[in-house]
Amino acid sequence: MTCHDYEIALGDYVDGTLDERARIDLEAHLASCERCRAVVADLGTLRRTASALEPVLPPAHVWTRLSAAFEAESGSSRYRWGFTWQTVAASAVTVVLIASLTWIGAGLTSTARPPAGLASAAPPRVEETSVKAQFDFAEAQYTSAIEGLESIAKNERSALDMETADVLQANLTVIDGAITESRAALQTEPGNPAAQESLFDALRSKLELLQDVVALINEMRKGNPEGAARIVSGLNQ
Amino acid sequence: MATTRPSNATGDVRAVDLELAQRCRRGDAAAFEELYRAHAGRLYSLVFRMLGSAQEAEDLLQEVFLNAYRKLGSFRGDSSLGTWLYRLAVNQCLDALRGRHSKMARVTDSLDDDAADEPAAAAPLVPTAVSRLDLERAIARLPQGCRAAFVLHDVEGFEHNEVAKLLGVSEGTSKSQVHKARMKLRVMLSGIQQ
Repeated sequence: MTCHDYEIALGDYVDGTLDERARIDLEAHLASCERCRAVVADLGTLRRTASALEPVLPPAHVWTRLSAAFEAESGSSRYRWGFTWQTVAASAVTVVLIASLTWIGAGLTSTARPPAGLASAAPPRVEETSVKAQFDFAEAQYTSAIEGLESIAKNERSALDMETADVLQANLTVIDGAITESRAALQTEPGNPAAQESLFDALRSKLELLQDVVALINEMRKGNPEGAARIVSGLNQ
Repeated sequence: MATTRPSNATGDVRAVDLELAQRCRRGDAAAFEELYRAHAGRLYSLVFRMLGSAQEAEDLLQEVFLNAYRKLGSFRGDSSLGTWLYRLAVNQCLDALRGRHSKMARVTDSLDDDAADEPAAAAPLVPTAVSRLDLERAIARLPQGCRAAFVLHDVEGFEHNEVAKLLGVSEGTSKSQVHKARMKLRVMLSGIQQ
């Protein structure tokens, strides 16, 4: 038998699912085949590392969006009481903007799609406009949404402790750096799709971070330390 | 990971799950949050790794929970709520993977069929201390067909017969897809420094 004949058996061997006869046969082959021994060593490393991968937690804004969609669908109102009118307005505006802008992004990059449960947020009619105009429109909308949320976050900053505020500021600084870098690249090459995508990624990150900040401020104002801790844990990822 | 797999419901778990499901169906937001907090981490890990994209995983996770809310009427407690949600998430992942652009499908199909990328090495290629981050990145680059089988088998800890059932393929196909994924990962991780 050749190495090729043992191909699948090598995986079974690493998984420990070979019957005794097949195992003895394979081990005899391994004793004289460096290549298959190397494969077994690598598959073992991959298997161990893969099975030890840590859970990946969803970012805090996923729950923010989902709870809004759940409330809309079920008519429940648990969270409404905890929100100030500014945070309710900001969350609603942000949710609609994310839906619309993601839709526009899909037109530009052919990869994005509207977040689930937000199909009712009607996207602007941009079919007939040029790609450049769509890009400028989307960027302007992102910038406007970010400015609105930044203003709320700034005014309500006193609700956050110093350490959390510092972490947020550090994250925002990193994202702002990426935005500046992408804009610089676009000035050199305005039509560069990678730079456009990079700018949208950074803007989307900033929007989502600010949305989390607003959600965090709301939890703090509601006096819900568990909810706040969950959001902070997401922000620290 | 096999030990943390969703399991069949037993006595108390079944009663607790049924009660939580009923509260969610009534539109109880606190119950829905409880459902989310209990299962979102596990489900997000699954969809993130199966789809290979954080943005799509976030959207899909939201869809899974909203769909779960709509379908909770069909939850009878035959399995645990975790298992029920898990199957829902796997099915929605598979639907999403099938629905991806046909051009992308053609590209990944051709990658799936590409068996000529394995170097003839006489020594191990993968560093024994390969980082989890490097592995996560490499998994995200796998063709989607073998990635799904790999994630379910090697990361989530399912046996090949269970993977076959979840993916709707034969056990032999599950084995060959997992093997293909491992061999591709081996090549991808061969350049990583220890």
